[in-house]
Amino acid sequence: MANTSGNAYGLTALCPIINGHTNDSNPLYKAAGESHDKEVRRILQALPLNQESPFANTDNTYLARLFILNDVFFQQGNDFKRDQLKSKYLCFNSNFHGELEPYLTSLWNNNENQVREIWQHCVAFESVSNANDFVRYIKSCQLTTTLFFNGSNDQPVAEQLKALYVKQMFSEFVLTQQGKSAAELKQAFKYFLQRVQLNDVKSPSWKPGQTEVAL
Amino acid sequence: MSNIAGKAYAMNVITPIPWWKAIWQHAAFKFVVRFPSNLKGLINLSLIHYARWTIIGRNSFPHLAPSQPKEDLHYSYMMFESNFNGSWDQYIDSFSFAIPEGLDLFWRFNIGYPKSIPLHGFYNYIRFNQIETDHFYNAYPCASSNDVKSATHLYDNLKDFTETSLELSDEDFEQAYNALLLDNQQYLGCMEAGPSLSLKEY
Amino acid sequence: MSYIDGISMKESKSLDLYDIQGNVCKGYGRYGFPKARYCFLSFQHTHSAREFLALLIEKITTAETWPVSESSDHHRIKPNSTLNLGFTYSGLKKLGLPERSLKGFPVDFTMGMKARSEILGDTGISAPEHWDDIWQQDNVHAWVAINARDQDAIEFEFNALGDLVTQHPDGVRIMSGIKGPNNTILPYQDASAVFENGLPTAKEHFGFTDGIGNPYFEGCGNSMSRLPGRGKLMRDGSWQPLATGEFVLGHVDEAQEYPPAPEPKLLSRNGTYMVYRKLHENVDTFNGYIDNLAKDFDGSRDLLMAKMSGRWPDNGAPLTLAATDEEKETLDAKMASIELRVSEGDKSALIERKELRRQWVDFTFNDDKSGSRCPVGAHIRRTNTRGSLETEHKAFHRPGALVDRRRLMRRGLPYGGIDEAKSDSAEQGIIFMSIGASIERQFEFVQQQWVNYSNDFKLGNDKDPLIGSHDGKLTDKHIIQGCPIKGAKPPFFCTQMPRFVETRGGDYFFIPSISALRMIAEGLIDPS
Repeated sequence: MANTSGNAYGLTALCPIINGHTNDSNPLYKAAGESHDKEVRRILQALPLNQESPFANTDNTYLARLFILNDVFFQQGNDFKRDQLKSKYLCFNSNFHGELEPYLTSLWNNNENQVREIWQHCVAFESVSNANDFVRYIKSCQLTTTLFFNGSNDQPVAEQLKALYVKQMFSEFVLTQQGKSAAELKQAFKYFLQRVQLNDVKSPSWKPGQTEVAL
Repeated sequence: MSNIAGKAYAMNVITPIPWWKAIWQHAAFKFVVRFPSNLKGLINLSLIHYARWTIIGRNSFPHLAPSQPKEDLHYSYMMFESNFNGSWDQYIDSFSFAIPEGLDLFWRFNIGYPKSIPLHGFYNYIRFNQIETDHFYNAYPCASSNDVKSATHLYDNLKDFTETSLELSDEDFEQAYNALLLDNQQYLGCMEAGPSLSLKEY
Repeated sequence: MSYIDGISMKESKSLDLYDIQGNVCKGYGRYGFPKARYCFLSFQHTHSAREFLALLIEKITTAETWPVSESSDHHRIKPNSTLNLGFTYSGLKKLGLPERSLKGFPVDFTMGMKARSEILGDTGISAPEHWDDIWQQDNVHAWVAINARDQDAIEFEFNALGDLVTQHPDGVRIMSGIKGPNNTILPYQDASAVFENGLPTAKEHFGFTDGIGNPYFEGCGNSMSRLPGRGKLMRDGSWQPLATGEFVLGHVDEAQEYPPAPEPKLLSRNGTYMVYRKLHENVDTFNGYIDNLAKDFDGSRDLLMAKMSGRWPDNGAPLTLAATDEEKETLDAKMASIELRVSEGDKSALIERKELRRQWVDFTFNDDKSGSRCPVGAHIRRTNTRGSLETEHKAFHRPGALVDRRRLMRRGLPYGGIDEAKSDSAEQGIIFMSIGASIERQFEFVQQQWVNYSNDFKLGNDKDPLIGSHDGKLTDKHIIQGCPIKGAKPPFFCTQMPRFVETRGGDYFFIPSISALRMIAEGLIDPS
């Protein structure tokens, strides 16, 4: 029963969305807005993807998702009772390297506007005004993972991306060297090392969320 | 919405479970952790980056303010969130073919769980209880979990090689290089964007 | 007359072979029918098309076991030719199937092969806009296959078909638009085994021996002696027949359920689906590539070819059996000495030969995890993974859990190479046909995940060295794994692989049972 698997952290948070209409406070203008959950969904679906996603700007996100739990649905039958949720929930599910507090702080610090835009429709979010508040807020919505299956590894994302970059480069390099003389090979390998900078994790490397294998 | 980001698919499945059986389900997961050989099939399938099962007690849905109505539920719920490689059908098929007993262990006490064989009951169960993702981010859209793992091995081995081989004579270097290739030949697949997983155009 | 197979078979399941079309259970090539002609029909008026169909049904060859003669050589009493029939989705529509029945067909079939080109890797030069003219329209409604022992029988049956078509001018026509030899455009596609010294062989035009490892399913009517290596691999290393429902609708499949199928049951039961693909082989490109690469390769040209396909080109022996030129020599010598003894009438040599030949099919990759014998990405290891995806013992329900539901029942023959010299621009290749209960789960999966992708083999996006949709890029490659033991040979890379095989047309067909055909012809299909 753990949120962690080695250095990998699994966050699941269910953030209740305010019931009702965004303009409930001003019934005259009600027609101009939408219900809070629809607003959130619209914002989520309009978030830029891949390299432009707010998670690409958040240190160490392996994979993350946002979705809305509207209700619980399941097939009924004579033996089953019916359940209905009283709130809709914004589900924030992230798998990342490291610890929760710095992760959430990075999410806030690097994407404050987007975070505010997304979470503004959640219950009690008006009390959040800085990174510490945000950490506290998400923790209050957090659920403990029952089973965490790590089918990958728990390295920092920068290490993983560098490894992927190196793998791609080396897989191409070996193809160009078949049949070369020993001297040529060694020379080419030295040049390869200069190019890929094995020990510089940051650069050159793949960027988080990069959709092409070439740099 | 999109459940897909590059080579990864985001699956969310939420299913009811009677509160007292949730305790058994907890125990089943403890058993899995205690005896990791139960995860052998999952590891061998090698289709998952990260997957998690979270049991939400019927009284533990987050409640943040008096203005928020308290949930009043008959059942507890289990949330399954997976980041896998391949399309929905491929994933469900592979799981059901390869580790039917494992799946049954993971969902065993959930209401309406039909068992993983025959397949279409299981298909329908997962489909019915699945929730679409509105925003999905993947740090490496061009890499599967296998790609990440093999990259990590290769990267480490290459660093080691570099430390020991650059001072060698040309001939010795060549020999060491060939040995490096031999040791790492299983990591030398090239990456590109993955096969199309989306059914949007179909 | 006696039925040898009927006696030797100890299978629990018996199928109504009189109701199933013959091509489902029999690879006619193997039964002494090395020649084939495929033609495509377009239906016009439903009523007249149905009348035509009612007459055509009489000619259809079923899967019934051919009797063995009581003469001394026990030869099988076979027809001179065979005829089989399938429909596209639009064909079934044209024949007036009720909407409810039509809606019950799976999406893969209803969309047809052209619309699935992205999934199949039919891109670039293989994209549908480059296919033969016949596929540029959307009115291919039926596929008719004639298989025969010789060309005369083909012509005879084709003429008979033509007569039947002529009698129904409002109902049906045979479509033209198929590219033939010497820049002809023909109303049919001829296919033929490649002949050597006047005898049909199992070769295709690149020189590989093809069509060896077809699956074995319960009730298929084949001798149980063909089971090892062709069924599903069990934990104890034995083989069991695959469930019938993997290949024939209306029967239980490997997921222990009836495959999804359209209603009513009489429409789908004993029917199945077939993929038809015209695969052009660029023989100049292939030979040039191999010649060039063989110069750098440590081994013979044949070994290089074998390392791409997984089988030796000359006789189809798998690399699991002989993985080097020396091992192959030893194997050949052993085979030659057995053959010599057979020719001298040595009965025990017959058994030895059978036992040795069994190993052509009955093998796994268990002792070759690294691929140092048969490369991990070799064609046969991709398209029939056997137990190799279970890398850790007992990780899965069964060693072949990931392949048992991905098997392709290969039918088909090479085409071309007879009336014109082989070249890239000449017409030669393979008419690939594959039968199964789910096009998406079986053929499309294999094509997308195993032929044109490698995640399951942990080789990234590498593709099948023979039929992958390569484009000559540096990274269009195949790794021939080295051997960690024998002299620590490093891996060898085949790079910049061009597109050896191009798709030139095809579609998805429903192969109805005889009962269903009759009801379609009489307009009796009723899903109420």
